[in-house]
Amino acid sequence: MRRRAAFSEHDMPAPSDDEALAIAFAAHDRTAFDRAYRAYAGLLYSAAYNVLGNGQEAQDCVHDALVRIWRSPQAYSPARGTLRSFLVVCVRNEAISRRRRHGRRMQMEERLAAQPPEHDQLPDSDPIERDRVRSALAGLPVEQRVPLELAYYQDKTHREIASELRQPLGTVKSRIALGLRKLAQALQPAAQADRR
Amino acid sequence: MTGHISDEAALYALGSLSDEERAAVEAHVQACSSCAALLGAAEQDVAFVASMEPQHDAPPLLAGRIARTLDRRSTRQWQPFAALAAAFVIGLLPSAYFWQQNQSLHSAMSAQTAAIQRVASTPHRMAHFRGMNDRGSASVMYAPDGSWYVVLVRDVSKSLEVAWMHDGEKTMLGTAQAHDGVAMLYLPRSHRMDQLALMDGARTVAVADLSY
Repeated sequence: MRRRAAFSEHDMPAPSDDEALAIAFAAHDRTAFDRAYRAYAGLLYSAAYNVLGNGQEAQDCVHDALVRIWRSPQAYSPARGTLRSFLVVCVRNEAISRRRRHGRRMQMEERLAAQPPEHDQLPDSDPIERDRVRSALAGLPVEQRVPLELAYYQDKTHREIASELRQPLGTVKSRIALGLRKLAQALQPAAQADRR
Repeated sequence: MTGHISDEAALYALGSLSDEERAAVEAHVQACSSCAALLGAAEQDVAFVASMEPQHDAPPLLAGRIARTLDRRSTRQWQPFAALAAAFVIGLLPSAYFWQQNQSLHSAMSAQTAAIQRVASTPHRMAHFRGMNDRGSASVMYAPDGSWYVVLVRDVSKSLEVAWMHDGEKTMLGTAQAHDGVAMLYLPRSHRMDQLALMDGARTVAVADLSY
């Protein structure tokens, strides 16, 4: 787990609030669920909305994903990483499954252009952040950028991407994984600098 | 899935696996801590990118809707206990037995709350139990001075006894009570214990070595 890499297993500091929340969530403490929802509701709803482009579907998606997680107590373990990341990916995967079931293949920009936004965007979601992602994506080698964009923005499976790009499945998988690591590495220093 | 995950971690986090492949990854990481950490790192990358996309406030009514769904299930879970209470009222159970069950439940809830508060507020160390195999995973968090221990077992269907192994002997410390697949035991203690064991009856299931 990346956040804990600086500490050995036997030399752990006092856990942060996030870590204490994660431990309590893993122990199936209902108050931890409520605290987690309050802390991450906006992020989770946004993750669903940005995939589905529809407020009611995004609500259904967050509802179903969180209820399913809570009914599977073994689903989350602090060994897996931060609770925040786990929840975001669970909700996003649920949203992607819904899109696939509905047979939609509109690109992100097409969806946003076709439908007026149902919500005011929060002040910290200005276009600069999206530009930063696009800029970081543009900095990736094309052989990593293209399959990564197909995976992240068009919700395609790795098999669909391999077929579309006419590349071996193993090659596509490793390029997507490498591209994701590079994208996160490229974005994180800038984000950390902004917070200082 | 038969082996460890590699690039599948990123594909899972991005949502690029089929439903079947996704389920296989989820099943694997529940039993493999190294792959769980790999998946967690990929999830952190995707969550980070997702957090840089447009953000919206969650509709205020959504929290209540989720709570109502969870509470409806909780009500169903308590139905057997309600039946037990009814049986008690009409005198089918000896009052001493019911008092003991109530005390046990109260003690378990208090211990769990105390454990979480302990873990949240003080430095601690962690050791994993060896030998769980397909029985889930287990770890013990403990204070560097040996003043408290929290044993946490995941993916278990039955309660397990916790024992202190010392000088060729076993001292039974208590029972990690299973609830919804998770068993937990909080142990306030006044000394350092070097080795703990999880017991299923007389059989040793797993052992953890603690260092200070």
